[in-house]
Amino acid sequence: MKIYDVIVIGAGNGGLAAAATCAKAGLSTLLLERHNIPGGSASSFVRGRFEFEPSLHELAGVGSPEEVGSIEDMFNRLGGDVDWYRHDSTFRLVVPAKEGDEDAFVNEDGVLVTVDARMPVGFENFARKLDELVPGSYDSCMKAFDLSERMFKAFECLDDPKKLPGSLKDVPDIMRMVSHTMKEGLDALGMPKKAQDIFSTYWCYMGSPGSKFDFLYYMCVLHSYVKNGTGIPHLRSHEMSLAIDKVIRENGGDIWYNSEVTKVIMNDGKPVGVVINGKKEVYGKYFVCNSSPNMVWNDLFDKKDIPEKQIKMINSRKIACTLTTVYLGMNKTKEELGIHDYSVFIAPDSDSDKQYEAVQNYFSGYCIINCLNEIIPDCTPEGTSQLFLTSMTFGDVMKDIKPQEYKKFKTKVAKDMIETCEKALNISITPYIEEIEIALPPTFARYLNTPLGTPYGFMLEKWDSMLPRTVQYMKDQPFDNFFFCGASQERGDGYGCAYYTGEKAGGIVVKKMKEGK
Amino acid sequence: MSTNLKGLKAKKFFPILSGRQAAFDAASPELAKISDNAMGLAKKLHPKRQYLKIESVVERGEDCRSYTLVPDTEKATESLAYFGAGKYLTVFETIEGMPVTRAYSISSSPKDSLEGKYVLTIKLVEGGLMSRYIFDTWTVGTKVEVSAPSGNFEYQPLRDAKKVICLAGGSGITPFVSMANAVNDGDEDFEMTLLYGSRNTDSILFRAELNELVKKCSKLKVVHVLSDEESDIPDEAEKGLITAELIKKYAPADEAYSVFLCGPQQMYAFVDKELEKLNLEKKYIRHEMFGEFHNPASQADYPSQVPDTVKIKVTIQDKTYTVEGNSADSVMQTLEKNGISVPARCRSGECGFCHSHLLSGKVYVPKHLEYRRLADYKFNCIHPCCSFPLTDLEINVPVAK
Repeated sequence: MKIYDVIVIGAGNGGLAAAATCAKAGLSTLLLERHNIPGGSASSFVRGRFEFEPSLHELAGVGSPEEVGSIEDMFNRLGGDVDWYRHDSTFRLVVPAKEGDEDAFVNEDGVLVTVDARMPVGFENFARKLDELVPGSYDSCMKAFDLSERMFKAFECLDDPKKLPGSLKDVPDIMRMVSHTMKEGLDALGMPKKAQDIFSTYWCYMGSPGSKFDFLYYMCVLHSYVKNGTGIPHLRSHEMSLAIDKVIRENGGDIWYNSEVTKVIMNDGKPVGVVINGKKEVYGKYFVCNSSPNMVWNDLFDKKDIPEKQIKMINSRKIACTLTTVYLGMNKTKEELGIHDYSVFIAPDSDSDKQYEAVQNYFSGYCIINCLNEIIPDCTPEGTSQLFLTSMTFGDVMKDIKPQEYKKFKTKVAKDMIETCEKALNISITPYIEEIEIALPPTFARYLNTPLGTPYGFMLEKWDSMLPRTVQYMKDQPFDNFFFCGASQERGDGYGCAYYTGEKAGGIVVKKMKEGK
Repeated sequence: MSTNLKGLKAKKFFPILSGRQAAFDAASPELAKISDNAMGLAKKLHPKRQYLKIESVVERGEDCRSYTLVPDTEKATESLAYFGAGKYLTVFETIEGMPVTRAYSISSSPKDSLEGKYVLTIKLVEGGLMSRYIFDTWTVGTKVEVSAPSGNFEYQPLRDAKKVICLAGGSGITPFVSMANAVNDGDEDFEMTLLYGSRNTDSILFRAELNELVKKCSKLKVVHVLSDEESDIPDEAEKGLITAELIKKYAPADEAYSVFLCGPQQMYAFVDKELEKLNLEKKYIRHEMFGEFHNPASQADYPSQVPDTVKIKVTIQDKTYTVEGNSADSVMQTLEKNGISVPARCRSGECGFCHSHLLSGKVYVPKHLEYRRLADYKFNCIHPCCSFPLTDLEINVPVAK
């Protein structure tokens, strides 16, 4: 009977990186995926003459030609062939004015707004632009980037828990950042409120509001976007996933699609194998798991075999946000539509906590609109373009929806999001829709198999943020031969974070195998 | 540059670590079931399999039957997945040891599924393997295994015009019967004019049902288009084929309209040319899938000197088989003919469910069935249902669940 060195459960970004790391190190590796293609969120789908990007907004980890970022670096190391397209702006934040707003003005699109901030790449550029929008914010902005620059150096010690406390004590400001929320941090730096609002636009990428996650975590994210700009793969994220698929196969690894792990086989209190599709058994020495812990403990294990801490962990944490995405194949070019930005964040209020409150409700006026043709001009046929609109919500927003009401509800949500964008940008979208697909939390639940359909894992609150999770990673794992990776782990959501956790989990297995444990 | 975080305490981190442990310690040790309705809806709308049995069979003329399918509670299917009118079910059968699948549009109303009822209306296809099998073996009580409702041939109010001209040919009427019911039930909101092409009056399917619906619902209109000139043409029917002129006659003159097509491949070939004359925007023309494609050599761009027989070496999980097949059969057909079950849904290239890796060799894919993703070309991935071998092949195919 064949016993694999490592069985990886789930070919999401984390599982792909883990399997590639193990296969590349010469371990006999089996990657199991319940769907017919790799990637989880990192995929694509075709409707008519359009191929849509299902989840990726941009990758901060691609870096610039001069300075390769962490994701491109990983692909280079593994030998994954991806054609990167780079982009040199960050975001535009538009806050349409409400009645009675005293600071309202008419922007370049002819819309009455209270904020219209198109933010560039580069710390200096970013700070100057912020100062131009909110005079007196330059110093505090540069101080924040100075902190994050130093913080990144300390990060290099993050993966060595023994070195960590010592190295962090050397950097008291880092400790201060970890210990306080973004809001507290920016207040301490004396950043004006309105500048803070613009500065914190990416809060939604974190899946929890600015008064909940720590300052360090936010700076880590913003820093990576502003420093070198962003990138995306030429052929949607399906290109990235197939590139790693190829690395795994070329290094002797096996990938079985349509092969869902339905049970983990235990022996003597330790996992020794898995059951696939309820019938086939495969055995392995080590396991890396890219599935949601909630699903794993509910579906793959007998209650008696689950370490109590694991249940307590999932019970003490909150599920992060869920997404709603509307994919639009347009029969007009972006110029004809009047779109000039890759990524516009439209918010009902400039304050991130108020945005968070708003998105508790489905029809919140919060929407991010992306136009892929801004970065990849030929991503659709001539004379056309593709847009995707993203909104977020928290909790079981679907709880009152019956199956027979779902289609109408989906259409209503999409219409609301489209109209939010049309008003905020003073453009017309509806008449030019050639293809449309609407993904609500049940869509994500179906493809990602996560509670509430979250792609984001658990909420990264201050007490359970990146740093505490990283420091305690080994202690948090259920068995000494079973390691989680993906959005539920140290760094939360995001392609780069998932790749990082997968590579790390794969690395731990490689090390243990070499040590003969 | 000096920063001014001094007002913030640095030592709060270690309490965070111990606080984290305390939060875990304080949590309940009971494993809570996943009960949210996002997952609930995902499971209800997209069950992996539906186990059904036949409740009744209705003859519709000589070579067409409607089968009413209800949940097979013995096999733990308690209710049916709701669907948008226009969707299909993939039927799974094993015929003489050979796994076979076919996609059939649901002809009943979405509303009926809430009462545990789907209707599949199946026409006996000349030389058709599955339809012959169904006609020979499906009877009241027969157990049938199907997929979740699938497909994209649906009305979408944000994309389609408020008025829709539906063009049906033969048994291509089935999704439109479901749509007409959905309009009548208030589940869909559009004005539907159905131009339904049949050979003669006798070969019209659902004639009485459609008449009934038209009487009840002012948003529905049905026009029979009869091609057999010899037969009696009723007053309300048109004679001939579905031409651009005929579509114009029934289409609104001064507002946008959508055209939905479902019928045999010959009908698409004819009607698509007619539609070109109308200069409609692409967004207003929607086809149901083409159905399984045969005879690739009929295509103008099919290469010459293709060997008649080819060897296919296929790996599925940890098993490898080498089989021989005809180059006129798709990779999927050859595998199935050799008793190898592969993942299959639409069998028309579109759904991508059979996505596989081509490790060596060359295949031909008819252009109109080309729905692969861009990266699939770069990394040599194919959809076996519409890939025809040009040489010996080596492929890696996911397992059929």
